[in-house]
Amino acid sequence: MTTRIEMKNVVKKYGANTVVSGVNLKVEDGEVVAMIGPSGAGKSTVLRMMNGLETTTAGEILIDGIDIAKPHVDIDKVRAKIGMVFQHFNLFPNMSVLGNVTLAPTELGLMTKEEADKEGRRMLDSVGLADKVDAMPSTLSGGQKQRVAIARALTMHPDMMLFDEPTSALDPEMVGDVLGVMRKLAKEGMTMVVVTHEMGFAKEVADRVVFFEGGEIQESGTPAQVFEHPKNERLQSFLQKVLEA
Amino acid sequence: MRRHWGIIGLVVALGLGIFSGQVASPERVQAAEKTYTIAMDTTFPPFEFADKNNKRVGIDIDLIRAIAKAEGFKVSLKATSFNGAVQELQANQVDGVMAGMSITPERKKVFAFSDPYYQSGVVMAVAKSGKVARLSQLRGKRVAVKTGTASADYANRIKHKYGFKTVTFDDSNNVYQDVLSGNSAACFEDKPVMQYAIATGLGLKLGKMKMAMANDYGIAVAKSNPVLVAKINAGLKKIRKSGEYTKIVEKYLGNGSQADTDKKAKETNDTSSSFFGLLQSNSQTLLAGLGETLQLTVVGIICATVVGILVGLLGVVPSKIAQGVATTFIYVFRGLPLMVLALFIYTGVPMVIGAKIPAFVAGIVTLTLNEGAYTAAFVKGGIGAVDGGQMEAARSLGLPWGKAMRRVIMPQGIRIMVPSFINQFIITLKDTSILSILGLMELTQTGKIIIARNMEGFKIWTMVALIYLIIITLLTWLSNWVQRRVRA
Repeated sequence: MTTRIEMKNVVKKYGANTVVSGVNLKVEDGEVVAMIGPSGAGKSTVLRMMNGLETTTAGEILIDGIDIAKPHVDIDKVRAKIGMVFQHFNLFPNMSVLGNVTLAPTELGLMTKEEADKEGRRMLDSVGLADKVDAMPSTLSGGQKQRVAIARALTMHPDMMLFDEPTSALDPEMVGDVLGVMRKLAKEGMTMVVVTHEMGFAKEVADRVVFFEGGEIQESGTPAQVFEHPKNERLQSFLQKVLEA
Repeated sequence: MRRHWGIIGLVVALGLGIFSGQVASPERVQAAEKTYTIAMDTTFPPFEFADKNNKRVGIDIDLIRAIAKAEGFKVSLKATSFNGAVQELQANQVDGVMAGMSITPERKKVFAFSDPYYQSGVVMAVAKSGKVARLSQLRGKRVAVKTGTASADYANRIKHKYGFKTVTFDDSNNVYQDVLSGNSAACFEDKPVMQYAIATGLGLKLGKMKMAMANDYGIAVAKSNPVLVAKINAGLKKIRKSGEYTKIVEKYLGNGSQADTDKKAKETNDTSSSFFGLLQSNSQTLLAGLGETLQLTVVGIICATVVGILVGLLGVVPSKIAQGVATTFIYVFRGLPLMVLALFIYTGVPMVIGAKIPAFVAGIVTLTLNEGAYTAAFVKGGIGAVDGGQMEAARSLGLPWGKAMRRVIMPQGIRIMVPSFINQFIITLKDTSILSILGLMELTQTGKIIIARNMEGFKIWTMVALIYLIIITLLTWLSNWVQRRVRA
């Protein structure tokens, strides 16, 4: 098994404020890791550090062996291999759905216009949006937007996918569609790191669940270990709160 | 980070290119032909003014042409304000000033003067129907004078004795209007000029005061140019001897009496003074002025937009240095009043770089820097107004900063900026009027010149205002059409 992502003693500070302190985390090829924890625990920051959207104060972040925490790394090349899905979709409103999906592969010269169109349509079909190819993003529902965002990332043929609270901004009835797409991806063997509040999804799909609080990993293990037999007190009280709700 | 230096380098190179290219050209023109540029006042009849056909005529103009002909050199005449003409000579933008300029000891310290060519003196003029007629009645009142003239010196010298305040204008016409409107009780002016103005129908009369400060008019030349002084003096002698000198003076002032001046003035002035009569007789001149205004506007808008977009982009490049450059540019050129900037570039910079800058170029540079700063500010703001998630999403897909900016951020930012661009275009059109200070014959300056001849301030300014409004209306329609297309 190859290691896709490896974080070693990673620290992130904003001025005097430490948001991530000494995180060590390994994600193997094909593994699905769910990151859970209360707001402000640092889980989104850690996720965003994995593709260099956040700078690293200290530590190493190895992506397929390349330390992206170091300066002068060709970050664009690394990012091309990591798909990222945001809470607020961040579709490009000035382009059609197909335009969104084909922009990066054509701009980066990875595919011709025809290849990108074909691949983009295939990906949109795989997320159930074949009929929305020519629609503008503003005409789509939240769930549809997020599925376009996933298709946009997939068209780049990434080796791994990062999801930053992909369902938090959705109406409840839309959540299922998006999680369905993610479930399918996981089954196909995609390496995934998912920051989520969907405990059901984490329990069902994740190979490993990581609990964050106070900028540190408090507990990590299989869903069964984390959800059925939590050892950490903070994890216990966190689970109590979310499962009650 | 390294690629951003490319963008910064491009902007800097472009900026230098604009400056060096524009500064170099006038030098070449100079070397090719032995022509002396003489700056004149625009509104100093009968020495220089535009006649009813809007040909620039006057005693000074005819004299310098006769002198040049006698001595075999060429002159290029440049109409600006008196004050502007003097500054341009100081800045070596022109070779001489001939503008009914009195020879004074102070001026002799700065410039070389030709032999005197006309004897004049300061007189007082008051409203025809007013009560004020003598100096002693001026206590506590305002007196209008033209900036930098011998009349102004005289007024300042006696103002404490007679207890009046002075108010200064750049144009004779504004001086007279201030008296006509009652804001000032009197004005001081050179005798032949005042006589001529009264002769054109101006509602003023000479006050009861002896001609003061009898003085001589001379042509001012840079002290470093004794050759030109010698040529002018030799030419002046020749035309005095041949009788051409007397002919020229009499052509404008007759035998010197007010009655004869009246007659001569009528010959040069507009035949009809109705609104439509004036519009008809001045339409060619106004259109020429409009043409210059439009030229300044279009070139100004293009340059300012290019510079504004580049500087605005510099302001969003993730580099502290680039952002610092952009912020400073915006701070400096948005902070400077347009007129100060125009004068600084036109009469200030040449003193330092030792090369002339043509008025049109100086005007365009002024517009480019000032309007460019405003444009940069809203370009920067417009890009900043695009949701930050857009850049993150584009970068996450592996797009480099430049590509993400061009394909994702800019198209969205431009939509936000469109109304600001339209607004800036309209402001640029209006701001060109300030460039009349450089003597550019654009619409506002054209208006000033026509009024200097016929004193029809209300009607002519109404025409000028209407022309501006029509053009701005057309520009607004065009902009709205573009806006609809962009937003669709």
